[in-house]
Amino acid sequence: MPMETSQPLESGAYSEDGVDLTMIRWMLSLRPAERLEVLQAAVNSILETREWNGQT
Amino acid sequence: MAKPDYTAMLRALSEHHVDFIVVGGAGAVLLGAPIITFDLDIVHSTEAGNVERLLAALDSLDACHRIQGERRTRPQASPRRSSGHQLLMTCHGPLDLLGAIGRGRSYTDLIQRTVELPVADDVVVRVLAPRH
Repeated sequence: MPMETSQPLESGAYSEDGVDLTMIRWMLSLRPAERLEVLQAAVNSILETREWNGQT
Repeated sequence: MAKPDYTAMLRALSEHHVDFIVVGGAGAVLLGAPIITFDLDIVHSTEAGNVERLLAALDSLDACHRIQGERRTRPQASPRRSSGHQLLMTCHGPLDLLGAIGRGRSYTDLIQRTVELPVADDVVVRVLAPRH
């Protein structure tokens, strides 16, 4: 769901059912290999944070 | 748990000429979905020659079943030829072999709904495309 904000949302930033379209547009602007790199970086970041917190 | 390295797993499968389709979260990411997943799901061809190539790729990935606790059981040929799911851990992270997905749809059923996408200079994979 879109969050309430005091600033006007950019037109077309969300779909009617609240999906953040900006992230989808950004991912679609990347090549497939770059999309995989984004996933890889995100997962690495999460796992490193978990390790840092002693959760592995 | 080994940290996932999606490109390394896909490269190993590609180098062994395994016929497979990337499905699930990683497939969605390759198509542009901004989501996160921790494993790689593939549907593989259960043709005998492909199963042999798959086993060789799994050997190179040091794959074993990840739900066997401390026991390290290696994948065998017979389960690879079934439509069941095999949840493996490799040296490059979790890899799930799915004999079929949805209503029993196998590699042969799904191949027409795939697109080829490059994931590295030397690796091109088939990804299951969504229905429109």
